[in-house]
Amino acid sequence: MTPRKLFTIALVVALAAPPKILSGADAGRIQFENRQKNSGVSFVLDNGSLPDKPMIDGIPGGIALLDYDNDGYLDIFFTNGASLPGLAKEGDKFSNRLYHNNHDGTFTDVTDRAGLSGEGYSVGAAAADYDNDGRTDLYVTGFDHNVLYHNNGNGTFTDVTAKAGVTGVSSAGKKLWGISAAWLDYDNDGKLDLFVVNYLDWSFATSRVCGPAGKRLSCSPTLYKGEPNILYHNNGDGTFTDVSEIMGISRHIGKGMGVAIADYNDDGWMDIFVANDNDRNFLFKNRGGKAFDEVGVESFIAYTDNGLPVSSMGVDFRDWNNDGKPSLIVTALGGETYPLFRNEGNGFFSYESYKAGIGFRSLKMSGWGAGIQDFDNDGYKDLFTANSHVSENADLDGQQHYRQANAVFRNMHDGTFQDVSGDAGPGMQIRAAHRGCAFGDLNNDGKMDVVVSAIGSPAELLYNTSTGGNHWILIKTVGVKSNRNGIGTRIKVTTASGLVQYNHVTTAGSYASSNDPRVHFGLGADTVIKEIELKWPSGTVQVLHNVKADQVLPVTEE
Amino acid sequence: MRIAFISLLFAVCATWPAVAGPCTGAEAQLAQVSKALTVNALDIAENALRTLSLSYPDCPEIVLHQARLAQAKGNLSKAAELYYHYTDTDPNDSRGLAYFGRFFLEQRDYMRADALSAAAVDKNPDDPAALALRGQILLMKRQSSEGQSLLEKAIKLDPDDPETQFQLGTIYDKAKAAAQAVEHFRAAATLNPHDARAWDYLGLNLELAGDLDGAEKAYEKGLQVNQAGRYHDAFLDYNYGRFLAKRNDLSGSKRHLDRAVESAPQVRAVWYERAKLDMRMQNYQQARADAEEAAACTQSGGVIDLQIYSLLSQVYSRLGNAALAKKYTDLTRATPPPVRGEQP
Repeated sequence: MTPRKLFTIALVVALAAPPKILSGADAGRIQFENRQKNSGVSFVLDNGSLPDKPMIDGIPGGIALLDYDNDGYLDIFFTNGASLPGLAKEGDKFSNRLYHNNHDGTFTDVTDRAGLSGEGYSVGAAAADYDNDGRTDLYVTGFDHNVLYHNNGNGTFTDVTAKAGVTGVSSAGKKLWGISAAWLDYDNDGKLDLFVVNYLDWSFATSRVCGPAGKRLSCSPTLYKGEPNILYHNNGDGTFTDVSEIMGISRHIGKGMGVAIADYNDDGWMDIFVANDNDRNFLFKNRGGKAFDEVGVESFIAYTDNGLPVSSMGVDFRDWNNDGKPSLIVTALGGETYPLFRNEGNGFFSYESYKAGIGFRSLKMSGWGAGIQDFDNDGYKDLFTANSHVSENADLDGQQHYRQANAVFRNMHDGTFQDVSGDAGPGMQIRAAHRGCAFGDLNNDGKMDVVVSAIGSPAELLYNTSTGGNHWILIKTVGVKSNRNGIGTRIKVTTASGLVQYNHVTTAGSYASSNDPRVHFGLGADTVIKEIELKWPSGTVQVLHNVKADQVLPVTEE
Repeated sequence: MRIAFISLLFAVCATWPAVAGPCTGAEAQLAQVSKALTVNALDIAENALRTLSLSYPDCPEIVLHQARLAQAKGNLSKAAELYYHYTDTDPNDSRGLAYFGRFFLEQRDYMRADALSAAAVDKNPDDPAALALRGQILLMKRQSSEGQSLLEKAIKLDPDDPETQFQLGTIYDKAKAAAQAVEHFRAAATLNPHDARAWDYLGLNLELAGDLDGAEKAYEKGLQVNQAGRYHDAFLDYNYGRFLAKRNDLSGSKRHLDRAVESAPQVRAVWYERAKLDMRMQNYQQARADAEEAAACTQSGGVIDLQIYSLLSQVYSRLGNAALAKKYTDLTRATPPPVRGEQP
């Protein structure tokens, strides 16, 4: 063969090969390192378990990642349980905790100074700047108390729940069992509203026991009635109005656990997904800020393709296949699979757990927290789930495990995912009773980290140490006409190599948790972003050109 | 190897003369015949019985095994006649009662099967055939722990009985204990490779256990032997079709679900599953036809109304039939999901 022929063949091969959008895409491995031990974060989630395993003791564990002191670094807030059946935070072990990020991998417990130790049986957390004063506030849900903490700007918070009118009490006067909450500006009026997800009509008086004595299991939620969710409208004066009824929310009774928001139909109004445990999931379609239509059945996300509910717990709602349409992952119990619903863009979603390659893998998993995040910065969002069975005695049947390792599924760029948990480092092999998890960049290195709570075990600080050297950007939106956090802003990023990605600003998602409000994009080998387009909730469209990679980019609404 | 060994034994033993009782000297051969019947080696059993009946024309046990052979070959009237004859001749033989009881069980004459199985265990509480049948009957009567303990005793006495292995497997299958179920179904299928049911259940449980390649092989082996008869499995194509759909082999799945609706057209589940596949393949008209067939079926096969409504809602939405889509959407909303989990 002559050199000319060889060259010709090489050229043909090169031209025939599919274009490789990101040269760094295959180079890295997703890796996590648990750095809890030397971090100063000693939090252990205490569910106050009782031998009869009441419903309440299986479900705590929300986390918030928030920069409460505006120093540019995410701090960590953990919710905690209480003694049972008294529901009292007796002693430090039941205290909620706030850890300040010292910027060097260590954290300082500032709970007492902040005034965030909490009361009652706490479950979830949602962080955002509801009063547009530039400081991140915090809403904590719980069985017996929901609390709104206003950030005073000096390291302390004030409980303003009663004044704000966000107690989590229904219009009928019953305190509902709050699990998750989401901040969103549903009417695009520039003020963040609050959506609270409620679970079961359960109390110790009506509590039932399941499983034989000494081997009790958490009962199925199907043995109890569900509860309505609550939507609070922000009046802009530090108070909220319960608009659940007039907005079409409260007529839908569910068994809500997780919540996530996205504008799934690209109409400029944020919609709400609620993961219901053993009941049909809800998709509240926003009708121009005037009302919500619950369209879960019509959109095919109420059930899996089998027409039955699963134990839906955690959820995330983002675009994982870069088609501009936010899609869903939901966690559930072993034997059910984790439903993956792809947004078709026509009002329908298709159940694609098996098609995407996570069906068989997730059959043996039970999951709580969930996230759609690009962990290897290759430009395609991956999946993470915080795993554990609900029942402490689950192992008695030999097929389920109470303590499970978390899972990470790598996006293979073709609509499928690969379970790479086993190769993701020792931090991903920790078997524990994981519950909530929150996603954010703790050390501002451009890699999305994960903080995971676990009943009876130290929380895990999973720093992302993925290899590959891919580039990234974190976009911090600052709303002016829109809400200050820019929550609801839809962002489209086009890199120099032509890859187009989408994401949106939200802190909601996972299970009972609150994520980094900054929007992360992996950029692969690209060092320059050709264009960033931001569609603010106000309707403003803002475009940036030729933005350098590898930075935290503040963008103020123009 | 097993078959060759059994044949050799027959060849040697069949020439031994009778000495005392009518079956004396035939014990070993009879035991081998029984084993051959247990593992469905019918040709070997038939040849041996023919030889034995010439050498031991008055041996009543030969009649028992002839009855079993006739049953296995589907000659039910002859089998019944021979069972009656044998149990009249030796009413105290627990094996006769047990095998006759199993005959009735296969004919779905549950009352007589129940009575004979109880009598068989009374006669001999250490007879594995009697214990296995009684255990199975008790399971059917929802006396699960008693049934399981009898089956476990039977398997200790005779670990090579594929039916007992199969029945134990079903207990673990129901409990979703895939690893233990696999153990028993694998033993059942190995001992009696003609048992398509065992291969099917083995596939299902390997699937649950995460051994997808093993499941695929099990289903395929089952399909190779799935013929009409006592070990036929009407849902093997259905289960394999579902499995292939999960593995994203849609055309393979279609092939088997097509066969499934042919073999069990009265069962809602097979139409339902094919309708789901039609949806995935974007063949919405066929999905509508199959979903409506599913809705009309009387045998649910485990598919409840909520699933049908949800599917029809999707089908008509895809077809753009707003009125019917709304009808089934409303029905889906109005139908509560099943109560699940352990009852207090």
